[in-house]
Amino acid sequence: MKQLYYILFASLVLLLSACSSPPQKQPAGFEVGEEVPQGEQILPSSRTSKTVLALLDNARQAAKSGQLHNAESQLERALRIEPRNAVLWHYMAKLRLHQDRISEAAGLAAKSNSLAGKNHSLQADNWRIIAHARHQQGDVAGAQQAQNKVEQLKPQ
Amino acid sequence: MVKRRPTRKRKPAQQQKKQSSRKKQGKKSRFRRWPHLRKIILGLFVLSLAYVVYLDTIIRVSFEGKRWALPAHVYARPLELYPGVRLSASQFNLELERLGYRYTYRPTEPGSYTRQDDRFYLISRSFQFWDGKEPSRQLDIHFENGRLESLREAGLDKDLTLARLDPPRIGGIYPTHHEDRILVQLQDTPALLAKALTTVEDRNFYSHIGLDARAIARALWVNLTGSGGLQGGSTLTQQLVKNFFLTNERTLWRKVNEALMALLLEWHYDKNEILEAYFNEVYLGQDGRRAIHGFGLASRFYFDKPIERLSLPEIAALVAMIRGPGYYHPNRHPDRLLERRNLVLELMSKHGVISKAQYGSAKRSVLGVIQDRASGGSSYPAFMDLVRRQLREDYRDTDLTSEGLRIFTTLDPWVQDSVEETVKQQVKSLDQKRALNGQLQVAVILTNTTNGEVLAMLGDRTPGYAGFNRVLDAKRPVGSLMKPAVYLTAIEKSGQYNLLSLVDDASISLKAQGGIVWSPKNYDGKSHGKVPLYAALVNSYNLATVRLGMQLGFEAIENTLQRLGIQKSIPPYPSMLLGAIELSPIEIAQMYQTLAAGGFRTPLRAIREVMTADGQPLQRYPIHVEQTVDGKSIAVLTSAMQQIMRNGTGKGVRQFFPDDVELAGKTGTTDELRDSWFAGYGSDYLGIVWLGTDDNQPIHLSGSSGALVVWGDMMQRLQIQSLLPMALEGVEVLPIDPDSLLIAGDGCSKTVNLAFIKGTAPDRYADCAGGGQR
Repeated sequence: MKQLYYILFASLVLLLSACSSPPQKQPAGFEVGEEVPQGEQILPSSRTSKTVLALLDNARQAAKSGQLHNAESQLERALRIEPRNAVLWHYMAKLRLHQDRISEAAGLAAKSNSLAGKNHSLQADNWRIIAHARHQQGDVAGAQQAQNKVEQLKPQ
Repeated sequence: MVKRRPTRKRKPAQQQKKQSSRKKQGKKSRFRRWPHLRKIILGLFVLSLAYVVYLDTIIRVSFEGKRWALPAHVYARPLELYPGVRLSASQFNLELERLGYRYTYRPTEPGSYTRQDDRFYLISRSFQFWDGKEPSRQLDIHFENGRLESLREAGLDKDLTLARLDPPRIGGIYPTHHEDRILVQLQDTPALLAKALTTVEDRNFYSHIGLDARAIARALWVNLTGSGGLQGGSTLTQQLVKNFFLTNERTLWRKVNEALMALLLEWHYDKNEILEAYFNEVYLGQDGRRAIHGFGLASRFYFDKPIERLSLPEIAALVAMIRGPGYYHPNRHPDRLLERRNLVLELMSKHGVISKAQYGSAKRSVLGVIQDRASGGSSYPAFMDLVRRQLREDYRDTDLTSEGLRIFTTLDPWVQDSVEETVKQQVKSLDQKRALNGQLQVAVILTNTTNGEVLAMLGDRTPGYAGFNRVLDAKRPVGSLMKPAVYLTAIEKSGQYNLLSLVDDASISLKAQGGIVWSPKNYDGKSHGKVPLYAALVNSYNLATVRLGMQLGFEAIENTLQRLGIQKSIPPYPSMLLGAIELSPIEIAQMYQTLAAGGFRTPLRAIREVMTADGQPLQRYPIHVEQTVDGKSIAVLTSAMQQIMRNGTGKGVRQFFPDDVELAGKTGTTDELRDSWFAGYGSDYLGIVWLGTDDNQPIHLSGSSGALVVWGDMMQRLQIQSLLPMALEGVEVLPIDPDSLLIAGDGCSKTVNLAFIKGTAPDRYADCAGGGQR
């Protein structure tokens, strides 16, 4: 009996320690609003410096706690370090979208696209933002064009 | 009936009573004799009472309201430190000096550092930024080949990915009296400071009621008998009242007011409140036009420390300075201050505030005052002018001069200093070469190509001179700086034009404003026949540009200019095509910013953030980009503008750079060589330089021989980064044989690299490249 208790106790300890062990650090995207499934997130490229990743981490935390201006400031710091990092411009566009500054979001998404190279999923996401902005502005034809781009760029 | 005044005698009680009733009768009778006396006395009493109530109101309103107008503090960008950042050891050292970091053998305090060749060890200062507090850290930094190689937190022995120094203060926006202070609370100040102050200035502070009776009597006596100047001996309360409410006027009336107000102040407020107000009010010196008030700012200014960390000798020195901050100026008269400081220490020891041992060691210590640092008057007047103008769009003047706002700007002091250094040398030398007798003036603006942040500005040939700000206010004809807008308009019509399309550079006469016939000329006075578009731009041919512009139409070009960021309406005259339109250097910077940013119009910004006096975020001025020109068209134009810098009017710039550095730019020259312009960019910096005189005299300098030289020297110092190879989908860059205008190859002696929107490039190889279809 005593042995059984011992085994139960040991398993409990093991279980708890497994739960409390720090999760494996995954590269994270930048989400301001509702959660997006991990697979669909736009992640920083492997060339992104540790400094920029650290700033992105700060921005993510700030956005999560609703401090959007703070997140904006962190992203701008990151952009000063890597001004040609298309993903950073994309995150900035997402932030603007969430701040309801739709046309600015479209500008930033277009900027991201101009630097996106062959990253089609990033481009598709940027066009999605542009389509949304054009739709909001009543530019139906423009929105449709942008949406077509999204469809073209979607992975087959 | 008049009664005799009773003699002074010891009287029985009853008699005394009688006498007292007689006294009253006497008074009554006197009032009867002078019936108005009572009224006069009553009137005077009421008036005095009203006056006291008036003073009381002044005291309470001022003391309970906002006591001090706090100027806005303006900061340059903070220096970000991270591995790989382009930053040399000497650049870093300059930043530390600019921030007032003290070089010491072994740094122990925030704001001190030591250096061994390319390695620095420092203790950074903590600072409240918009996005959080940057803690004070012990940093171990190593530089190599102009870059930060490693960044470690020495105390914790770990690598850091990022650290931020506190931002250099570059100026303030002051109320007219130019007072500045950092407010402190009594409980945050060292107890010794209060003790030292009361020991020296007002030993009975904690027991008196606002006045020191003996001192007042002595002052009155001296004043009434006129036996000399007014004597001091005022209590701290009186000193505070004098500084806070009254003028420095030396009259009896002021002294009476001072006394009354001191009494009232003591009646309403407790000693600690009064002492705290004194701590913040006291005048402790001058920094240019900025007046240093309060122990909070003084301890920062003289000792680079927050007040709570002042040492005994530093406390004694500040208290010593109260008597005459000019006379005891720590940098100008250190001996006087040292002597008086030791007197303060002696007094403190004598009255038991400090022990004999403390006195002994304190009086042997050096003053420890930091050397004269950057003046409180801004060193960057042109930039500060831009900051003020941008702020005035959102804030009232009174808010800017009284709320203690913290303004975080985009200025990069290292870039600014490099610009100033270049301009001082180059403008002087150009002025001498052209015998302009010191009349040659200059305007420079430098921005970050990506985010539109203004990094440096110079509005006068004498840096620091706060006169006419030519960057913002000098409107001058822009000459050929206009041409890229004309060629861009053509390139955007990719169905009709590419860089190899031929345009006739033949003479032309057109009806201009007022029916006058306008016959433009080329700079060399010749016509060059049919030339490809790129060559017309690279060589800045006027005739070809006018013909091209007339084909495109004014409206289309005006539309391009607006999309590039020019808000001014453009007169529809042919001379506009050659830049007969007056724009300021900052307007040109906005136009070229859009080119440098790949077709994204990015409003120029001088401010990043505004925070309140207590470090709360107030407003951000975020980055804003809008695509107004297609990136592919910009890429094509840029390839031609790169050729300007290799083979055209901008080739003089090559002397400043290694051959592999790719830059884009355009020269501008106006009639009779009155204005010399250059606008150019790499991947990081955009710079605009204008040279001319204020009375619009010929300066005998073209864009190439004047502004370009200043630009080249400046960008060389700043190590401008090369434009990156174009990697835009839908654009291809091809080597072109300039003779056949076909694709060049290894066998061709001359080639120019030009960009084409896909589908518009030549489809044949030049003979020198073997010929044939592509």
